[in-house]
Amino acid sequence: MKTLMLKLEPIIWGLFSGGMMVGGILLPVFVLVVGLGGGFGAVDGQALGYDRIQALATHPIGSLLLLAAMALPLWGGAHHLRHLWIDLGGLKSDGLVGALCYGVALVGSLVAILAVFRLHG
Amino acid sequence: MSQETKTFVVTRFDPDKDEVPKTQSYEIPVEGDWKILDALNYIKDEVDPTLSHRWSCRMAVCGSCGMNVNGEPKLTCKDPVSNYGDTVEVAPLSNFPVVRDLVVELEGFMEKFKAVKPWIVVAKERAVEEGTTRQSPDELADFKQFSMCINCMLCYAACPVVSNEPDFIGPAALALGHRYNQDTRDEGAPERNEIFRDEGGVFSCSFANECSEVCPKKVNPAGAIQQAKLRNVLDWAASFVVKRGGKES
Repeated sequence: MKTLMLKLEPIIWGLFSGGMMVGGILLPVFVLVVGLGGGFGAVDGQALGYDRIQALATHPIGSLLLLAAMALPLWGGAHHLRHLWIDLGGLKSDGLVGALCYGVALVGSLVAILAVFRLHG
Repeated sequence: MSQETKTFVVTRFDPDKDEVPKTQSYEIPVEGDWKILDALNYIKDEVDPTLSHRWSCRMAVCGSCGMNVNGEPKLTCKDPVSNYGDTVEVAPLSNFPVVRDLVVELEGFMEKFKAVKPWIVVAKERAVEEGTTRQSPDELADFKQFSMCINCMLCYAACPVVSNEPDFIGPAALALGHRYNQDTRDEGAPERNEIFRDEGGVFSCSFANECSEVCPKKVNPAGAIQQAKLRNVLDWAASFVVKRGGKES
């Protein structure tokens, strides 16, 4: 498991750094615009109407962004938790904890892919 | 001018006599412009000649006098006594075996340095007739900051990963390896990146950033390691498209 994780480390770190970017920068703006902007009337409700959002989410670029917004932060969180565990002295169980963290991120990503696919009917 | 006194609680360890390190207190007069190293030298010269500590240049160049002062890794020749209260604790750097008192073992650290090939690697040496290798100020700026390291090892004492993973190459050595990877005269990046991606390489770093916080020369090893991670992700991705080892310009 350790060797496999070592081999996959570049891709995992790539997903992690993508996740931190999305989770730290894009998602708060997304929540601000959609969650609060719509509710407080700062953003036109029509602009966030079902048909428009449906069209955006099923556009190839929209689908990719949606997938990135759901899947990448999972990898960000998983990698953070694994390294937190190591920093707390859990190196001996790194294989198990790593497999668990990345396993959850992988399952979550697959669910996200499935969810985005289903949007396309 | 009234003379101020401070108490220095210094860690002592004699491998021939002691099972574990103990502390010894010295109350000494201090001058206002003293650094911690001046106080240690005073103790050694005037109070207790048996105290062992390592130092040389007294001007933050040689990197010999790194110690934990009140629990934080400091270059003692640069650390003013006026920054501290009446009691100052001085201990050897964390994460290193102690040889005696405040002196730590450097062997393992030196091995880690060698591992990253901290020299210019070229396939073929340039002949003198070919003239000098030119480098623009921008190209120099890509690595200059990372070449300012004085090997004081404060970053190793501060790094949580070094304390947990003995095999971790560590901040200073990884930053130095990255410094050569960034150098336009160098062709050794593929070799170094193999080491960077291996166990104890750049991906072991959890970016606590403590190394850059304590660095007395503002080398920013954490920044170097993050750059090296990104470069290795791109290098790894490129290895699927371009033959391994042939993608470095």
